Amino acid sequence: MKFKSLLTSLLAVVAVTAATAKDIELLNVSYDPTRELYVEYNAAFSAYWKGKTGDTVTVKQSHGGSGKQARSVIDGLKADVVTLALANDVSAISKNAGLLPANWQERLPLGSAPYTSTIVFLVRKSSPFYGKIKDWNDLTQSGLAVITPNPKTSGGAQWNYLAAWEFGRRKYGSDEKAQEFVKSIYKNVPVLDSGARGSTTTFVQRGIGDVFLSWENEAFLAVKEFGADKFEIVVPSLSILAQPTVAVVDKVAKRKGTEAVAKAYLEYLYSDEAQDIIGKNYYRPTSAAAKAKYAASFPKVELFTIDDAFGGWTKAAATHFADGGTFDQIYLKK
Amino acid sequence: MRTLTTAVRTALATTITAVGLTASLSAQTASASDIEALREQIRLLDQKLRVLERNTELKDETATAAAKTAGKVAFTDKGLTFSSGDGANSLRVRGLVQADSRWFANDHVAANDTFILRRARLILEGAFNKNFEYLITPEFAGTTPSIVDAFVNVKIRPEFQIRAGRFREPVGLEQLQSDAVAFFNERSVVSSYLPNRDVGIQIHGDLFTNRLNYAVGYFNGVEDGQNGANSDNSNEKDFAARLFATPFINNKDSALAGLGFGVGASAGSQNGSSNGTLAYRTDGQQTWFSYNGAGTPIPYGNNYRISPQAYYYYGPFGLLAEYAVTSAEWRNTNGTNRRNLQNTAYQIAAGYVLTGEDAGYKGVTPRTNFDLDNGTWGAFEVVARFSQADVDSGAFTGATPLAVRTSRASGATGYGLGLNWYLSKTVRAGVDYFHTSFDVPAGVNPAINSPIDGDENVFITRLQIAF
Repeated sequence: MKFKSLLTSLLAVVAVTAATAKDIELLNVSYDPTRELYVEYNAAFSAYWKGKTGDTVTVKQSHGGSGKQARSVIDGLKADVVTLALANDVSAISKNAGLLPANWQERLPLGSAPYTSTIVFLVRKSSPFYGKIKDWNDLTQSGLAVITPNPKTSGGAQWNYLAAWEFGRRKYGSDEKAQEFVKSIYKNVPVLDSGARGSTTTFVQRGIGDVFLSWENEAFLAVKEFGADKFEIVVPSLSILAQPTVAVVDKVAKRKGTEAVAKAYLEYLYSDEAQDIIGKNYYRPTSAAAKAKYAASFPKVELFTIDDAFGGWTKAAATHFADGGTFDQIYLKK
Repeated sequence: MRTLTTAVRTALATTITAVGLTASLSAQTASASDIEALREQIRLLDQKLRVLERNTELKDETATAAAKTAGKVAFTDKGLTFSSGDGANSLRVRGLVQADSRWFANDHVAANDTFILRRARLILEGAFNKNFEYLITPEFAGTTPSIVDAFVNVKIRPEFQIRAGRFREPVGLEQLQSDAVAFFNERSVVSSYLPNRDVGIQIHGDLFTNRLNYAVGYFNGVEDGQNGANSDNSNEKDFAARLFATPFINNKDSALAGLGFGVGASAGSQNGSSNGTLAYRTDGQQTWFSYNGAGTPIPYGNNYRISPQAYYYYGPFGLLAEYAVTSAEWRNTNGTNRRNLQNTAYQIAAGYVLTGEDAGYKGVTPRTNFDLDNGTWGAFEVVARFSQADVDSGAFTGATPLAVRTSRASGATGYGLGLNWYLSKTVRAGVDYFHTSFDVPAGVNPAINSPIDGDENVFITRLQIAF
């Protein structure tokens, strides 16, 4: 009799669970190089969420230049979450569309940056400049072709730009000289793609340029896919600590009824399993365990932060990337 | 551009080979540094070409992306269309002009020979977010401009749509057909037995991959053949519904692909109405029956209409048939004569496109346009129709009959022959001949110059543009 009651109870639980299990769809609007990372992470999260709630979560991905993606969300792309290259792009969504509160960065640990990265040089081994590119000042050599995306549309490109600027400022002593230095680098840029993945295509697949200013993970992927005999990763003496940030797009998630799962989706990025996936995909993890595990994978480089060098994203964006900013002065006069 | 750069690349490769050969032949004389310089020059040229190619590629990508979001304007034989890049929002401006003339063979009839601007409409239609559709049709052909149709259609699914506003009640087959594409210049007498446009709300959709169309609506209610006003003059309303099947519509090769059949109906009550504007008309648009008796008859009580209907189109041949029975209570305003009257009508019409184009419920599309320079003539279609209509004899009985015997007939039988010339997809010319005879009991002498004073013989011509 007891067994029968237990079986009945179990069946009831199964029936209730089956009856209430939901199919949920999330849209993660991200920047260019995170495709592979989120393919793997989405599978892990779906399995985790299924086990926890019984619900089936399908995460759709959208990728492009970080700034361009932010504009798409502002213009109506129904993103449940954004995982963009720059905190400034997420803030733009908050400021221009009011889809999430201004203090969004305070809602998740580490300023809502569950992983970091940096900028390195990917050098073509067949280039006559191979062996002659060691640091930022080598990028101004006459005849050299530098590949980097457009800072107006690409988050990665903004990190590149600011890293070069800070190097120039430290080496030559002033912002004016830094601007001249960055200008001389951009004189060597023959193609401006709208996003980092486009620049990877330009450099790796179209065979253009001698050196590609690349997200660290993109550089690793290119070497892995196309061979160490073709490309070499060169780590400059100084680079920037890139902190891609993540946020729930509250108003969209609320309208779609996905708030809870969207929040859990981002929180899970800080879990051990997710941090391991992050390390495997050549992003720098933030948890102590994963950091230790992947320490040997990442080259040692002096990293500075945007806050320390430029007073934060808002200031940096206004000075360098707003209309009429230093990039416009440099590139329009090129 | 891609082809161009590929060609340039090929040329460059040839040059490189030639240079390489030359270099190899003169290797004995050329220094190693010369060869190195040549190699560098070739590398730089190759890089320049690749950059050019990539920049073109990016420009194309940008243009393609911009085209997806940029608004579009198109002017075709379907009108002037403005649409958003993704096509979700649109406005289409269409037009319909029908310039007619009517020529009566018997000069004693009430109507005059005349040129007439039958319809002059600007049709504005479109959608927001794909599924929120609208249509507004002003009419400029009357003495004052008016709104013919104006509605909002919420397309929840193709199978389930909600329409509200002013539009045709879902009952008559020919009544629901577009004004511009019917076989004849004027609809048959059956359409004057069934409701025309009315203000109300309707649920409708296409089921089973367009094999079954349904519509159920709730309207202010109109008299036979009439258009509803913007507001109702009674609290009573009419239901209207229609089921129409085209079971083989998806079997394009089947001889039955063009078969459609169904039934339309309406029911309601018009108590308290003061309209009394019902008018059954001949093909020449003369009123051969109305409730014109003493005491201003009005509809007062329940009414219903049922109309079985069918069409069949196969290649250039087309056939359309419908029957209507309409029942309504009428009375004098003083209530001295109150009757439940039942009137019936039917029509059968056929057409054949002489030039071989397919006939269809939505019209004929000519293979060629009329163009003397090219020696093309468009499409020609011959059409024929027979119709018969009867009125309940109760309309003429009683001390104060609801209709006057000497000016209204108890029935009409008509036939028509016509020729349609499709000069292009948008322009059609047509000439129709109609003959109508009236049922007038022996001993009744119709009033001189009344519409039923002798058979009606009329020619109707039309030049029409519809886009």
